[in-house]
Amino acid sequence: MLVDLPGGWSPLLGRLAWSQIPYANPILAPLFVAVVIGAIIVLGLITYYGKWTYLWKEWLTTVDHKKLGVMYIIIGLVMLFRGFIDGLMIRTQQVWAVGPHSSGVFGSLHGYLTPFHFGQVYSAHGLIMILLAATPLLVGFMNIIVPIQIGARDMAYPYLNALGLWITAAAAALIMISLFVGDFAHNGWFEYAPIFEMQYSPGVGVDYWIWTLQLVALGTTLGGINILATIIKMRAPGMSWGKLPIFVWASLSANVIALTSFPALQVALGLVAADRYLGAHFFTAGMGGNLMLYTNLFWIWGHPEVYFVILPAFGMMSEIFPTFSEKPLFGYITMVLASMAIAGVSWLVWLHHFFTMGAGPYVNTAFSVATMLVGIPTGVKVFNWAFTMYRGRLTFNAAMLWAIGALFLLLIGGMTGMMLAIPAINYMVHNSVFVVAHFHSMLLVIVYAIFGSVLYWFPKVFGFKLDEFWAKTMFWLFSAGTALVFVPMYMLGFMGMTRRLEYVFNTGWQPYLDVMEFGIVVYTLSVLAFFILLYVSVRDHAKNRVGADAWGTSRSLEWMTHSPVPFYNFAVLPHINERDEVAWRRQHGIDNVRPEHYEDIHMPNNTGVAIILGGLTFVLGFALTWRIWWLCIVSLLAIIVLMIVRSFRGDPGYIITGAELQRMEEEAYRREAQIADSHHSHPVSGGVVGNAMAYQRNDSSK
Amino acid sequence: MSHGAADPTMHPEVQLSTSKGYFLGFAISAFLMLVATFLVTSHSVPPFGLLMVISVCAGIAVIAQIYFLLHIDISEHNIWNTVALVLFIPLFLITIGLTWWMFSQLYLRTMDMSVMSSAMQPAVHASATPGMAAMPGMNAHTDSGN
Repeated sequence: MLVDLPGGWSPLLGRLAWSQIPYANPILAPLFVAVVIGAIIVLGLITYYGKWTYLWKEWLTTVDHKKLGVMYIIIGLVMLFRGFIDGLMIRTQQVWAVGPHSSGVFGSLHGYLTPFHFGQVYSAHGLIMILLAATPLLVGFMNIIVPIQIGARDMAYPYLNALGLWITAAAAALIMISLFVGDFAHNGWFEYAPIFEMQYSPGVGVDYWIWTLQLVALGTTLGGINILATIIKMRAPGMSWGKLPIFVWASLSANVIALTSFPALQVALGLVAADRYLGAHFFTAGMGGNLMLYTNLFWIWGHPEVYFVILPAFGMMSEIFPTFSEKPLFGYITMVLASMAIAGVSWLVWLHHFFTMGAGPYVNTAFSVATMLVGIPTGVKVFNWAFTMYRGRLTFNAAMLWAIGALFLLLIGGMTGMMLAIPAINYMVHNSVFVVAHFHSMLLVIVYAIFGSVLYWFPKVFGFKLDEFWAKTMFWLFSAGTALVFVPMYMLGFMGMTRRLEYVFNTGWQPYLDVMEFGIVVYTLSVLAFFILLYVSVRDHAKNRVGADAWGTSRSLEWMTHSPVPFYNFAVLPHINERDEVAWRRQHGIDNVRPEHYEDIHMPNNTGVAIILGGLTFVLGFALTWRIWWLCIVSLLAIIVLMIVRSFRGDPGYIITGAELQRMEEEAYRREAQIADSHHSHPVSGGVVGNAMAYQRNDSSK
Repeated sequence: MSHGAADPTMHPEVQLSTSKGYFLGFAISAFLMLVATFLVTSHSVPPFGLLMVISVCAGIAVIAQIYFLLHIDISEHNIWNTVALVLFIPLFLITIGLTWWMFSQLYLRTMDMSVMSSAMQPAVHASATPGMAAMPGMNAHTDSGN
């Protein structure tokens, strides 16, 4: 052993022992029982209805970008729920443990969580919300929407896409299992040097953190490569860069950030792992280590990462506003430039996360100015959205409400961000809950955009709309919760309350904490409304079926194909004439055309390799966390061998014949004809209507 | 999706790769790493010189790896590699340059400069354990400056 391991270690089980299972913990033990019972019920139901084959063939081995995207979103929503429960626990502890006379239960002096447990809760909350909720949700949407918006049949690398999903799933599984086996990191979601070193954090919590983050980084990088290659190489004929839908531009800029910044995180984590596993001294306080270098390296990734999550959200808002304003997006070019500018500046601002480290006036000023520069392109976006709505024919349905809510939150978060960009103010409020309230405002922009997108694109993916009443109920409850939790939080920040308090010493803050607790209860109601929304919508799905253009005012290409989107996306690739192709076709009366002739198309085969590799990476992460070396070697070798085998075998794909395609398309048209408000389409010969080209020409090779 | 390049071995970047190139890239990187390791363990060069020599070794290794292992060149059929390279160079300069600047300013304010400057002359620290004297922040005296 290169490092001293406190506690036992055995060659067979590593650091794993019965004592690592928290069966005596009054919170985790009942939860564990509930999870096991829930899992048995779910698995039992799948077996009872004989759905294992369906699950394996249609979902677990799929390389269809839409199904992978849906699974990304399911993982993201599950983790969002887990992160929300963590938030509920934090709020409840803080409202409980105020002042020296507050009671304590479950072995805690005040409140119900011991400091060590509370530390794990807020660390898991942060890591989960950013990397395992927001990121998979956004990657899921990019996965589903980008190929359809650019008129492609799948991603550039369908198998790599599946691999990215299952590695992300492995990361989610790893952080979930840390609930019941061992413990999680207790030093905050981004950790601190040197407290993550072995002598200060001897448990497995930091190791879980390292490998969870490492796996997410790997999965997201693979996804980023795929989306970039797809956008660059797979656009439909006629779609020049100037005709790219705005969400695709947002995805492009976001994934350029992902591709360039995630390696910095992986290096930083690799060095932390070297410290903890090999006894190196990269970030130790002595022996030549530099603990400030860790903070620097982490935020070189960390700040671009927050723009990686906000840019797709901006893209989503840019799709929702025009559709429900019945106008084209105001200032398309400036919107694209603003996205690229935000991506560019994202590499120049990381130091504003540690102004107080003491780099002095020159460095702080430079990064302060760079940070304020972000306000310019973001302001351009806000004005563009406002002008898009100006004199538009607005429809205030639930999706639009979420987008408008995101706009308001962006203003609050952006303005407080400008305040924090000033080092003098930053010194005053550093590490206070004011900062926490600021970045929650920004991340809630993403959550609002995501819920707006769920409502907006749900009919495209599943073929029916979600229930408007419950969607609006959820929106108003969620917004009330947001106001009730975060307005008092801003105020407490100004009063000097620091973040991550497991015991609140100032009893004068009690009323604010009470309001925040009430707010989180309202949030809980909105979660309940979301479950009811899903139930009611699925129950009434037959009534809410939609045709290709679910909203009637849609603009971009994804609304041209059927809802739900067939697995091949487009039977015949469309020819792109204008930026807002669907709106343009509607205007020119060629929105009801369909191809006369179908050609054979080539599609990728399903593969079980991706999910097996995902499972193996989970085993590898678990074995590394617990230092079960033989298992590390076995799983790593299995991963390498499997990858080589798969690379040599390749995938020849399969052909859908034109006749089969015609049969499926006619069935889809028949289904659409039964929906009351949809129009009947008619075939066009040679793919040309009037002077406009509707489809890829039959004689062209691409 | 009836693209002609369905066979991955026909892609230009695969066509460019040869076993000789990979072995050469590996050999150069391994050799440079051995040189760096030897210099660090033998203490045959003063600390500042060591820093310079290792940086040069690392730079050559990066170029060798980019050329021999990643096949990034500026030819026309690898146009997207060039785009990636053009994006990478400013990012590399920003990351390393701003970090360097930040730490130089930070050390002015957080480090005991007498130790900092003496750390560049190993003779002063002859009594300390070899190899550990060169870096700031290692002993109690320095830590008190934090």
